Amino acid sequence: MLDVTLVWRVGLIVLVTTVAGCSVYSVPGRQPAPVETRPDPTVVTPSSPPSVPPSPSEPVPQPPEPNASNAYGSLVLKAGQASAGGDYERALALLERAQRIDPDSAEVYLALAQTYAAKGDMSQARATAERGMLYCRSDAECRQLRALLN
Amino acid sequence: MSKTRRSSKKRSLSKTRRPLLKLVIAALLGFALVLVYLDAKITATFTDKMWELPAKVYARPLELFVGANLAAEDFAYELEVLGYRKVNSVRNPGQVRQQGSRFDIYTRGFAFPGEREPARRLQVGLSGGKVRTLQGGGSDVDLLRLDPVQIGGIYPSHGEDRILVRLEEVPDTLRLGLLAVEDQNYYEHWGFSITGIARAALSNVRSGSVVAGGSTITQQLVKNYYLTPERTYIRKLTELLMAVLLDFHYSKEQILESYMNEVYLGQEGPRAIHGLGLAARHYFDTPLEQLGLHQQALLVGMIKGPSLYNPLRNPTRARERRNLVLDVMVEQEVISAEHAMVARAMPLGLNNQTRIRDTFPAYLDLVRRQLRQEYREEDLTTLGLSIFTSFDPILQRQVERSASAVLDQLDKGGELESATVVTRFDTGEVAALVGGRKVRYAGFNRALDAKRPAGSLLKPAVYLTALEQPRRYTLATPISDTPLEVEGPDDSIWSPNNFDRQPHGEVLLHRALANSYNLATARLGMELGINNVVEMLQRLGVEGYMPEVPALTLGAGEYSPMDMAAMYQSIAAGGFRMPLRSIRDIVDAHGEALRRYPLEYDRTVSLQAMHLLHYALREVVREGTGRGVYRYLDDDFAVAGKTGTTNDGRDSWFAGFSGDLLAVTWIGRDDNGGTGLTGSSGALKVWAHFMARASQRSLGYRMPDQMAPQWIDDSNGYVTGEGCPQARLMPFINGSEPKQRTNCSPRINGIKDWFQSLFGGDS
Repeated sequence: MLDVTLVWRVGLIVLVTTVAGCSVYSVPGRQPAPVETRPDPTVVTPSSPPSVPPSPSEPVPQPPEPNASNAYGSLVLKAGQASAGGDYERALALLERAQRIDPDSAEVYLALAQTYAAKGDMSQARATAERGMLYCRSDAECRQLRALLN
Repeated sequence: MSKTRRSSKKRSLSKTRRPLLKLVIAALLGFALVLVYLDAKITATFTDKMWELPAKVYARPLELFVGANLAAEDFAYELEVLGYRKVNSVRNPGQVRQQGSRFDIYTRGFAFPGEREPARRLQVGLSGGKVRTLQGGGSDVDLLRLDPVQIGGIYPSHGEDRILVRLEEVPDTLRLGLLAVEDQNYYEHWGFSITGIARAALSNVRSGSVVAGGSTITQQLVKNYYLTPERTYIRKLTELLMAVLLDFHYSKEQILESYMNEVYLGQEGPRAIHGLGLAARHYFDTPLEQLGLHQQALLVGMIKGPSLYNPLRNPTRARERRNLVLDVMVEQEVISAEHAMVARAMPLGLNNQTRIRDTFPAYLDLVRRQLRQEYREEDLTTLGLSIFTSFDPILQRQVERSASAVLDQLDKGGELESATVVTRFDTGEVAALVGGRKVRYAGFNRALDAKRPAGSLLKPAVYLTALEQPRRYTLATPISDTPLEVEGPDDSIWSPNNFDRQPHGEVLLHRALANSYNLATARLGMELGINNVVEMLQRLGVEGYMPEVPALTLGAGEYSPMDMAAMYQSIAAGGFRMPLRSIRDIVDAHGEALRRYPLEYDRTVSLQAMHLLHYALREVVREGTGRGVYRYLDDDFAVAGKTGTTNDGRDSWFAGFSGDLLAVTWIGRDDNGGTGLTGSSGALKVWAHFMARASQRSLGYRMPDQMAPQWIDDSNGYVTGEGCPQARLMPFINGSEPKQRTNCSPRINGIKDWFQSLFGGDS
C-alpha cells in the first residue's frame, strides 16, 4: 500500500529544496569557508523561510573548542596567581593573551572581569562582564558574569 | 693674584728672546689643547649610549596549540618569513623540516615582554586547517609562541641600523679571524702600529693581493665613528691621536666590541647594515653565535669592501674573498687546515627567505602614527625600542591576494585604487592593512588618508538610533519610503532618490535597511533628528567633522576606510567601543616593558538595539544588497555587513564581519572619477573573497537578556503565528512587540504550514 500524501510531500520537499537552492544561494565559484560555530539557538537567522523555530528555553550549553581550554588554561591559572599576588597588570596581560587564543570564551571574559574588579576598576569589570555575556553558553557561566554587572 | 703672575711670566718670556723656544712652547700648548679637546670628545661619547638604535617593529607571534586554526601552507609561510631554514635533519634553532603537513622545527625562542619563550624542538602535525598534534621532548605541549617576525624598523634619516652584540657573544673564531685579517697586532699596539703597517704590507705581498689595510682596528673605529671620510694628512693625524687616546682610556675588549658594532657591512635600500650582529641576521638570518665558520669568514672578508664583496650581488668575488680569509685564518693558526677545507667547500650560506621587512608600508605607517602620539621621533630612532604589534602576516598575505585577485579582474587598466582594513574585533586590534594597489610601495595610504563620502555605510547609525527607542521603533515598524524634498542653504533643494529610482511606499524597518532604501532612511533620520544620528556615529567611534545635514543619513561627509573600521568595529563588537589598536607592547633596549596598551571596552550602545541591528545586517547579506557574499561563502557561515555606493559610482564600499574578523573595503579612483561600480559589484567581492579564505568563525553571539524572537507577518508588521502567510521570525526587545495581530493562529507543524503557504494552501 502506498500513502499518496506521503509521496506528494516527499516530492514537494525535493522540488522546493532544489528550487530554493538554485534561485537564492547556489552560485558557481563559491569557495568554502572553514566553519566553526557555536550558534545560539535562540538567535534568529534572517533568511528565506522556514526560519529556525524559536526556542523557548535558555541556550543549550555547548562544549568549548577542542583543546582550546587546554591551551589557555595555564594562562588563566598563572593570571589567577598574579592577581592573588596583587600583580594585576601581569594578570591582565596573561588574560589578554588567553583571550586572543580563544576570543569567544566566556571563561576568559569572566577572569578578565574578576581581575578588573580585584584591581578596583569597576567600570572595566562591568563592561568586560557585559561583553562576556555575548558569549556565555551555560546558565552557570551567564550567571557568574551577570553577577559582575552590579 | 693671577694678574701679577701672568704679567711676570710675560716679562720673563719676553726677556729671554728665544723665538724658537717660544714657537715650540706655543706648538706644544696648541697640541695639548687639541689633545684635551679630542680626549673630551672621546670620553664624552664612548659610552653605552654611543649607538643610535632604531626601534624594531614586530608582528604578532604565532600561537601554537592543539586546535589552533592553521593551514599547513600558512604555517610554512610564517616559518619562511621568519627565515627558518629548511633542512633534512633539524639540529639547531631556526631550522625546520616539513613533510606534507608534519613539521619538525627547532624554535629560536624569544624574550617577550614579561616572559621568555625558550628555544625548543617541536613536532607539529596539522590537518584540516588545524593544529592536531603538538609535541616536544616526547610529551604534549599545551601552548607556545614562535618568535615574532620583524616587519620593519623606525630608522633615523641616515639610515643606520644595527643589533648590538656583546663581545662574549661573538664566536672566538670570528673574533680571532677578524683580528688576523684586520689587525694582527691588536693586543700589543697602542692604538696604532708601525709594525702592523709593515706586516700588512708583507702579507699583501705574500698573498699577491691586498688582504689587509695598514690601519689598526682602533684607527678604523675612530675613522668611522668620529671622522668624516675625506683623506687628508690632518685628518690622518687626528685619527692617530684619537686612536692612542682611545687605547689609553679604554680596554682592548671595549674597543673591539665597539668596532664590531660599528663596522659597516652593506646597504639595503635606505637602510645601512652596521655591526656584525645585524649583518649575521641580514645575510644569513642566523644569530651571530650560531654562524658557521664559512659565514664568519665571509663577514670578516666583507669589511674591506661591503659593496665589492656583497655576496648577494657578487657571489663569485665574495666567495674568493671568503676563501682568502680562511687561508689567513689557517696561517694565523686561528683554525686548522682541515676546518678551513670544510668551510671552503661550503656554499655562501645566505638566507634565501622571502624578505618581508619593510614591505608593509601601510601598516608601518599606522604603527608610526600611533607611536608619534606618545613618542618623539628622535626617541623612536635612537632608543632601541621593541614595538610589538598585532600585525598578522598570514592575514595580510590573504587580504593582499584577495584585493589583487578581484581588482585585476574588475579593472584591467589599473585606474582603480583600493584599501582594506582588517581587525580582530574582539580585541579591537588591526591585523592587516592595504593602503593601495601597489602594496609594497610607501606613498598615499588610502586606508588612513583617502577621505570619501561613505554612502550607505552610515545608514546603520540611523537605524541604530531608532532601535534604541524600542517603544517607537522595532525591526517590524512600518516606515515610509516615499519622495521627499528638503530645503538646504541658498535655496537649494535636496531630494534624494532610491538606487532603483522607485519609491517603495510603506516598508518594514528591517527591509528598508536590508535593501538600502534611501528615501526611507532619510525620512527616518530626519524624524529622529540629524543631531542624534551624529551623536550615534560618535558613540560608534567616528571622529572628526560630520555635516549635520539630512544628506548625512546617506553618507555625506568625508571618511577614511579607517574611520569606517572604527564605526563597524563597535558594531561588530556588539555595541562596545574600543580604540583601534596596532600596538600591544613597547619594550626598551634592556627588555624592560615601557608601555602596554590594554584592552578596554566601553559600551556605548544598547546591547539589545545592537542585536536588532545585527539581525538587519545579516539580512543585508542573506536577502538584501549584500547577498553576493554567498557566492564566496558557505551558506551556513553567518556574516553581517553593509554595502555603500556614492554618486555616479565614485566609491564602492563594503563593511562587514564574521565571528572573528571585521573588514572594511573601499574601491575608488584617486582622481575621484566614476568607477562604474556599486558596493556590491566592487568592494563586496574583495571582502567576500577575503572572508571566505581568512575567517575561521561564523558570527554567533548569544541573544542578550530581555529579548525574545517573535513571528511577524512581513507584509504588515503584525504579530502572527508560526507557519502563517509571510511569517518571519524576528528578535524583539521585551515589551516592544507589535500590538496588532493577524487572525492567523500559530500551528504546530511549521514545515507543513510553510509548504501550504508557499503553494497557496488553506491558510
